[in-house]
Amino acid sequence: MGIPNVLCRKNRILLGELVKTDFRLRYQDSVLGYFWAVLRPLLMFAILYVVFAKLLRFGDEIPHYPVYLLTGTVLWNFFTECTNQGIHSIVQRGDLIRKISFPKYIIVVSATATALINLAINLCVIIIFALFNGVTPSFSWLLIIPLILELYLFSLGISFLLGAINVKYRDITSIWDVLIQALFYAVPIIYPITLVLESGDFGQFASKIILLNPIAQVIQDARYNLITNTTVTTWEIIDGPLQFLPLILVVVTLAVAALFFRRRSRRFAEEV
Amino acid sequence: MSQKPHTAIKVTGLTKNFRLPTERASGLKQAILNWLKGIKGYTTQQVLRGVDLEIKKGEFVGIVGRNGSGKSTLLKLLAGIYYPEQGNIEVHGSLVPFIELGVGFNPELTGRENVYLNGALLGFSNKEMTAMYDDIVQFAELEPFMDAKLKNYSSGMQVRLAFSIAIRAKGDILILDEVLAVGDAAFQEKCNNYFASLHGNQTVILVTHSMDNVRRFCDRAILLEDGKVKTEGDPKMVAKAYEDLWNQ
Repeated sequence: MGIPNVLCRKNRILLGELVKTDFRLRYQDSVLGYFWAVLRPLLMFAILYVVFAKLLRFGDEIPHYPVYLLTGTVLWNFFTECTNQGIHSIVQRGDLIRKISFPKYIIVVSATATALINLAINLCVIIIFALFNGVTPSFSWLLIIPLILELYLFSLGISFLLGAINVKYRDITSIWDVLIQALFYAVPIIYPITLVLESGDFGQFASKIILLNPIAQVIQDARYNLITNTTVTTWEIIDGPLQFLPLILVVVTLAVAALFFRRRSRRFAEEV
Repeated sequence: MSQKPHTAIKVTGLTKNFRLPTERASGLKQAILNWLKGIKGYTTQQVLRGVDLEIKKGEFVGIVGRNGSGKSTLLKLLAGIYYPEQGNIEVHGSLVPFIELGVGFNPELTGRENVYLNGALLGFSNKEMTAMYDDIVQFAELEPFMDAKLKNYSSGMQVRLAFSIAIRAKGDILILDEVLAVGDAAFQEKCNNYFASLHGNQTVILVTHSMDNVRRFCDRAILLEDGKVKTEGDPKMVAKAYEDLWNQ
């Protein structure tokens, strides 16, 4: 399996067919159907908004805080959905792997593709929300596309790793459940990064660490470009070549994960 | 029977081992404990020990052997599902494997959707499937039911649909693992006639326990025993050798 045939015609067809099937089946037998894809992050946003914006008054100094919060939750939701689909993908498709030969990475890509479609719809919701909230549209909104690509590649890399490990060690799902909870608080979604930044010397240090996480970098950059350029970004508070660390992390994660996955995938049919 | 000299599949020195987990070795705790104690956590079982075979284009070859002799493993290696430890497999032409019927069939999808999904898994494009679709449905005799969900099919209908995809799918090499006995007597007869008509036109590898089928359809047969080729050649002779395994 070389790089050139990674997206050859035959594999594209299979990928398309698997995505279509996943999509058809996901919301089957639910009354609201596909609407849930939008409703879930909106409901999560509503809870966070009531608790953190209204009760704890976290975002008083941030313009358009509701949109700011929604952008964070939607992108975070995308990351968790991607990795949660990815981690189970290989095991769930065990019956296929045992009986037919095809490139295994297609399974992981198709599992995460549904999350990508959901994200696209949620982005429309964000844009409607932003316009209602009085955010002025600008060309910088287009920068959201490379940012999403970056987040997707990162999620995909993690999905390859987790999906491959899960074939042999099912413990990884429990470990990932806990890790992702911890990670949620390590990313400035509910709290503004300025809150950490303003809490002394350690806060300065901590916020730099926080913003070296590719997820945090993407979320802050998305807010910066979509909503307000008062958003503190990785590029602003980290100087020198270190500010490229999030991008390097994404590339390294994806490369290591792809190699690991390729090596492990030879034995999936026996082990799954 | 037309003889074409070209090789469809050539296998040399094929070896396959399986790792069988000893104690409950799936799980991180066991893995770490095993590693600390220096236990491998699995024993190695040799399933194929150096298999050589060559299948010519247009040949109908039967593979027979006792349970555990390595037949299915050999097929899965040919189909590219397993990865060989040693040895070499050359496949010339497209290969359509049916290790099991209806791979990827989903009860929540309609008959039509399942045909296309199954086709994509076998490597056919939408266009190619559309070209084969009517033929498949007709052979399965399921025209009125294609827009019903698969879960509302009887088991016989499901198998008929799966089997029709299997034999109507146009590939250069067809691999079938014990899938002949499906449907009622009338459908069986239809399948048997179809198989008889394949003679000389299509390369088929058939794994079966039915010596009647071996004698009836195959040009050549291979008897596997303990992961090695024991006898190969004339179907009648191989069928006899297979039956003799129990009379020793």
